[in-house]
Amino acid sequence: MNTIAILKTVHLTKKYSGLSSKEYYAVNDLSFEIYKGEVFGFLGRNGAGKTTTIKMICGLLIPTSGKVYINGIETIDPNSRKNLGYLPEQPYFYEYLTPRETIEFYCRLKGIDAKERQQEWLRLSELLDLKPIADIRLKNFSKGMRQKIGFAIALVGNPDFLILDEPMSGLDPVGRKHIRELIQQQKEMGKTIFFSSHVLSDVEQLCDRVGVLSKGKLVAIGHVREVLQQDIRQVEVVFKNLDTALISSLQQKGTLTRTWEDYFQFRFENISIANQFITECLQKGAVIIECSPQRETLEDYFMRMQIVEDSQIKKNDIYYSRVEE
Amino acid sequence: MRILAVAQNTFRESVRDKVLYVLLLFAGVVIIGSKAVGWISIGQDIKIIKDLSLAGMSVFGALIAIFVGTNLVYKEIDKRTIYTIIAQPLHRYEFVIGKYLGLSLLIFGVVVLMSIISAIYIVILGGDINHWYFIASFLVFMKLLLVTALAVLFSTLSSPILGAIIVFCFYVFGHSTGVLIDLPPNFEGTWSKPLLQALYYILPNFSNFDIRSEVVNGVPVSYLYVIYTIVYAILYSVFFIYLAVLMFQRKDV
Repeated sequence: MNTIAILKTVHLTKKYSGLSSKEYYAVNDLSFEIYKGEVFGFLGRNGAGKTTTIKMICGLLIPTSGKVYINGIETIDPNSRKNLGYLPEQPYFYEYLTPRETIEFYCRLKGIDAKERQQEWLRLSELLDLKPIADIRLKNFSKGMRQKIGFAIALVGNPDFLILDEPMSGLDPVGRKHIRELIQQQKEMGKTIFFSSHVLSDVEQLCDRVGVLSKGKLVAIGHVREVLQQDIRQVEVVFKNLDTALISSLQQKGTLTRTWEDYFQFRFENISIANQFITECLQKGAVIIECSPQRETLEDYFMRMQIVEDSQIKKNDIYYSRVEE
Repeated sequence: MRILAVAQNTFRESVRDKVLYVLLLFAGVVIIGSKAVGWISIGQDIKIIKDLSLAGMSVFGALIAIFVGTNLVYKEIDKRTIYTIIAQPLHRYEFVIGKYLGLSLLIFGVVVLMSIISAIYIVILGGDINHWYFIASFLVFMKLLLVTALAVLFSTLSSPILGAIIVFCFYVFGHSTGVLIDLPPNFEGTWSKPLLQALYYILPNFSNFDIRSEVVNGVPVSYLYVIYTIVYAILYSVFFIYLAVLMFQRKDV
């Protein structure tokens, strides 16, 4: 993997305090890097500090302390955002504008000159299929269409670094698939993508690395395969043609989880027990329909981390498992 | 160029928000007002219609400046449209100045249209219009520039309702700052006298922009006074916008 840091946060902290309320750290001493060309998933429960971090990176919130660098430029300098595309969670736009006018406006904010603006509209309208809705005011748009416009805005100027805050949030399966394909497409084009999501299956599919935030602190960061426990935890086997004696024998060593027609699904606690019974069953004329080893999913991992979170996070709990390549 | 993009967008937003309907209201007030004036005045109709028109420009222009201006930055934050704007390579001062210029452009258009509409109406009624009528209208515009700057400042600080109340108070009070300096004798020797006098010099004096009665009655006004008033408006506006930029510079959005 490329080790050029596109994004770097150094001891990034956001503290809120009011006259009547206690001090509260939304983000606490966050330091991490995102490398050129990778897709980085940012995970955490609601209120973990994901959106606060993203807002500080994009210049919307002023950090209490710490620094953020994009392409080596500190984000207090707006030039750091020249090569950045940002899709906020539930994007909001000027309702009185049409998609064509919206793209034109953001092109001007990006400093794209008049000649290239038309080219940019053609490129984005083709990529996101905006031509049929080019001159309809945004106030009439559905959630999915708004997300499309949000994506188009993020892609104005063809930036190398994309920050997507919950890009699949509130979308139907078709909309989610479309956004997932767009992210995949941008990844293939070599873009660096930083996105937060609650849809863990999407994160597993798309991300090279993930970072897990809990109560404003980074509790894990690394490749998806490193963060997850890769040992086979259980094995599920579907048998056919089992006689009563075999069923009762299997029930002593495994758990019958499901039956339908003449199929029986058993779960074994480890691969060696499963192997032993599969051999025995095959010798006695049974048929193996399916055998699936169960590994930890990101969802399982996430739940495991929440247990850690609930038992008070300490600074020493942070582990860092990035492998230098 | 980014400032112009923000300004143009603000102008377009206000136009599409049907702010220009205020022109219809202005025309209605001038026409109905002139009919009413016709019944109570003896041979003074044209003077009173001119007076009413210039006053109408000031009041309706101020309504736009206050109600649109105090919403300008606040609405962007409240509706979260600001997220994708600040994430662009745009300085925060460019955003504030762009918003201010956009609304100023709209107010300029509104004042121009109001002065043309009223001038045509006065000519139709048999009155005559000279360049001083338009200079008086231009000073109304300069006053509105100042009110807009104040409204934009409060838009970065407070909610639109609170901002509108404060700016409205400034507007009303700014037309009668003379009372702060023409104090009755019983203020002599009290601590309130220097305080009120200091306020007189600090607060913008909106009555400086008012050359209505001179223009209506044909009393000459020096060009130097007009230039002084324009410079006065520009300096105050720049100061208020500078404060607005300072307030917005480190604001979490």
